[in-house]
Amino acid sequence: MGDQEQVNILMVDDQPGKLLTYEAILNELGENLIKARSGKEALDHLLRTDIAVVLMDVSMPELDGFELADMIRQHPRFQKIAIIFISAVHLTDLDRLNAYQRGAVDYISVPVVPELLRAKVRVFADLHRKTHQLEMLNRDLRTLSARLLATQDEERRRIARDLHDSIGPLIAALSMNNGMLAQQTKKLGAEVAEVLQQNNQLVEQLSKQTRTISHLLHPPLLDEIGLLPAIKMFAEGFAERSSVKVDVELSPEIGRLPPNVEISVFRVVQECLTNVYRHSGSKTAYIKIAPAQEKLLTVQVCDEGKGMPRTNGAAASPGSNHGVGLSGMRERLRELGGTLEIKSSDKGTTVIAAVPVNKPMVKSV
Amino acid sequence: MRTRFLIVDDSELVRKSLRTVLQANPDWEICGEAADGESAVELFKELHPNVVILDFQMPGINGIETASRMSQIAPAVPIVLFTQHASPDLERHAREAGIRSVVSKTNAFPMVGMIEALLGPTNTEWGAGGSAGSTKDLAD
Ligand SMILES: Nc1ncnc2c1ncn2[C@@H]1O[C@H](COP(=O)(O)OP(=O)(O)O)[C@@H](O)[C@H]1O
Ligand SMILES: [Mg+2]
Repeated sequence: MGDQEQVNILMVDDQPGKLLTYEAILNELGENLIKARSGKEALDHLLRTDIAVVLMDVSMPELDGFELADMIRQHPRFQKIAIIFISAVHLTDLDRLNAYQRGAVDYISVPVVPELLRAKVRVFADLHRKTHQLEMLNRDLRTLSARLLATQDEERRRIARDLHDSIGPLIAALSMNNGMLAQQTKKLGAEVAEVLQQNNQLVEQLSKQTRTISHLLHPPLLDEIGLLPAIKMFAEGFAERSSVKVDVELSPEIGRLPPNVEISVFRVVQECLTNVYRHSGSKTAYIKIAPAQEKLLTVQVCDEGKGMPRTNGAAASPGSNHGVGLSGMRERLRELGGTLEIKSSDKGTTVIAAVPVNKPMVKSV
Repeated sequence: MRTRFLIVDDSELVRKSLRTVLQANPDWEICGEAADGESAVELFKELHPNVVILDFQMPGINGIETASRMSQIAPAVPIVLFTQHASPDLERHAREAGIRSVVSKTNAFPMVGMIEALLGPTNTEWGAGGSAGSTKDLAD
């Protein structure tokens, strides 16, 4: 086994001699072997340790193997444990079926062939180990993707801030200088006045474009006056750029929320509107942010477009699309302990995000 | 008596340009400059300016917060928010904080007319559009 992580194998038999035999057979697997003399003792072990494989005798006094299997399966934490039955008496196909239905993964009859038992246990021990490794990796990936999203937000905030602090003042100064010059138009020739007028327009374009870039990177009002004005302003800008008509309904009682909630909700709305523009073909969009329950906020973005493509009839299920938008929204909401629901038909798409918030929001009358 | 301005902006370049624009009017003078909200409030108390030109996004407290502190001290003094982020929503928040008008930094041109309008009824250049011809020639 070398440096592989050991898994626990629980052997259950009322006869100590048999337990010793199994132990001798399984020893060379290098796993951790645990012996239990009864169903009850086995349950004690199961509750205390993470067991990969249970090897058990079908016929035991008090709690027999089938009954024990039933009890194990009822517990959600034990759903994935591999159970191998060993039976001294010959079992009919019906008995075997019975065993499988009770959640056995395998079945061995006596006399036990050592190589066979070893091979079977090894398969399930390895499976358990791999599953565990996958779970760990999956958890690491989750953490990483949450961190990446947060870093991305931070980075965008920084770039927007840099734009604002470096280019913003230059534009303001240019604009003011032009203003000064414009007051002197009487002293300028018509041609020069014309050039000045053009310069004014150029400065305005420059400023407008810088503003758009900076606002898409990070909404300026978000930190300063909060989510709702930032969403309103974004929706207005979006409507102007995309010519999609956007209706916005925001419940004012929501007020200010923690910064990570505000940026996440903002990004969800931003991604949704981008999708409406890029994919739906809809000429309208509707955004609603309102308290759903005392400490739950719902964010809803609807369109009247053509709906999502029905790949495998499961457009709304996780992992069924390869875009970053929807997966990103899901990850953000998972981080906040919320959920994302997508309803889509050929009449349009609705994305509903539910976000728990840590303060009661009283509905105003 | 000359009208005394307090200029608040974290960019030195913007403060300098504002100075040039405002001082073009011989009746106007800059009595002080601040680069952040907190020190602006201190200067406000000390210098008693007649008008404040205030940036929105600054290190520390923002322009709206700064304005509401100033309005608590002297509500009659007109405050103009001078920002890259002019929008109806920001204007609403600004008004709640006692700000009289919001001027876009990227189209600073109508500002002079706005200030004149704020200062006295004889000046009628309120929101003079952005076009060069429609604003009074202050150099006269
Ligand atoms: N509002 C919508 N209307 C129609 N289709 C949509 C809508 N939103 C998303 N989709 C579909 O779902 C896919 C995944 O979206 P998303 O995860 O945002 O990735 P991307 O926008 O980069 O393709 C899109 O490619 C599109 O086919
Ligand atoms: Mg998308």
